[in-house]
Amino acid sequence: MSGSLYPWGGHFVPGNPKACVAVVTLSEELALPSDKVALYGGMKTENLGVEKVVANVVSNPNIRFLIVCGTEVRGHRSGDSLINLKRNGIDGNNRVIGAKSAIPFIENLPREAIERFQSQVEVVDLIDIADAYTVVKAIDDCARKNPGSFGQPLFVEQVPHDRVVAVFHSDFSLHSRIDVDLYGVISHAPEAG
Amino acid sequence: MFTLMKEQTVVDVKGIRFGGQPGENPTVLFGTVFYGREFKVLDGPAFARARELIAAQEKISSQTAVPGILDVYVKDEKYVEQEIDAVLAATDRPFAIDSSDAHVRAKTLEYLSKVGALDRVIYNSLNLGLTLEELDALRKHTPEAAIVLGYNPRDMGVDGRVDMLVTGAGMLSVPGKGLLEVAKDSGIEKLLLDTGATPFGSMSAETLRAIPVFKSQFGLPTGCSIHNTLESWGWMKDLRKTDDEAYRCADAAANSMVPMYCGDFIVYGPVSSCGRIFPSIAFADKLMAEGAVDYFGLKVSEKHPYHALK
Repeated sequence: MSGSLYPWGGHFVPGNPKACVAVVTLSEELALPSDKVALYGGMKTENLGVEKVVANVVSNPNIRFLIVCGTEVRGHRSGDSLINLKRNGIDGNNRVIGAKSAIPFIENLPREAIERFQSQVEVVDLIDIADAYTVVKAIDDCARKNPGSFGQPLFVEQVPHDRVVAVFHSDFSLHSRIDVDLYGVISHAPEAG
Repeated sequence: MFTLMKEQTVVDVKGIRFGGQPGENPTVLFGTVFYGREFKVLDGPAFARARELIAAQEKISSQTAVPGILDVYVKDEKYVEQEIDAVLAATDRPFAIDSSDAHVRAKTLEYLSKVGALDRVIYNSLNLGLTLEELDALRKHTPEAAIVLGYNPRDMGVDGRVDMLVTGAGMLSVPGKGLLEVAKDSGIEKLLLDTGATPFGSMSAETLRAIPVFKSQFGLPTGCSIHNTLESWGWMKDLRKTDDEAYRCADAAANSMVPMYCGDFIVYGPVSSCGRIFPSIAFADKLMAEGAVDYFGLKVSEKHPYHALK
């Protein structure tokens, strides 16, 4: 689901854009009251998934609480990565400090977006809790503490990455590092230059 | 369909052959066990289910002549012994060990060393999240083979994935080295390359494009886990809720693309999906082999759907 309010898209359910709570349900499929939450949905990966959540949260300044609930996605521990990003940020190599997940690298968000995320939201750690009643109770608790809008939205653009312009030598092009002739013979391409 | 000018290394792990020219050896399929909702609680019924699934994979592997082995997912240190003992009791084939936690991977190696099973183990995987504890464990308890993951979040293009293998892209805990050098320094001689599947919107097609590039540059067996791209597709997630048959068809189709791009192995997802994956791969393998025989005069290995499935 994507929209102008949440420009990075993702697999989530948009709710009340004025609500102060967003919920990450990790591997769970929970049905939450749309009037009480700005958006909610699962999150699979400890890198790209976390990036999408951060970008979508800072684009709506009404979101002041992020509840992370449900069972971790096996093989990813994305919830751990998100919570540690909020607590500790990233190191000089863009790795989430303290994250236990396998590949918790944040490569597509500018640092400004991470700092904004850290300031804008309070994270509520409900990892391993998957019953909707407890989660809704936490949503209500957050709503009672709503400090109001954070201010202007921050629409994050992906960090640009340099790409080498490909130089092709063969009739049938698949990648600049290899030549593929029309009979299916693959050979290493000469260095581009 | 294709042939590579670069000489291809065939990696043999206890009789399971990975790699070679496209069509030469069948695609090796890794089915993941102890992963997914049915293994959320590892109790008696879960282990019984695991035994059932392991037997099912081996049966269809024999029927199709497509080699099938396990990717054993270890969630937590406390399950290492139980899971490994269960696998050793259920199969004589080699298997991969897989965990998101480097510490758990290290502990699993330690246990495998203790029970004398390291010669059957494919370590899944050496990746940019490697730790010094993990490297120490790999040197002390060296597995027979390892999968080296080209995933590079800084550059998801093919060049970025190659860079992760060659230089480490400046991201490894061992500075100045790429993952291939790290693997060799650890004493692992048999290497398989995984291009590192990425979702739609994150240069997903590079997952497949990188296969012939890796094989052409390194001459090593190469594969991927393309089901991750399918599983992360939002539209399909919604469709699957009401039409699981559609998902199953797409899963078989997605996996079949790997051999068509010269892939040598696939980590195809939960072992419970073996019934749909093996016949699809048998078809792709037979087609690739026939194309290589007819056009390039390739000699297809003896145990292959090309010979076995008339």
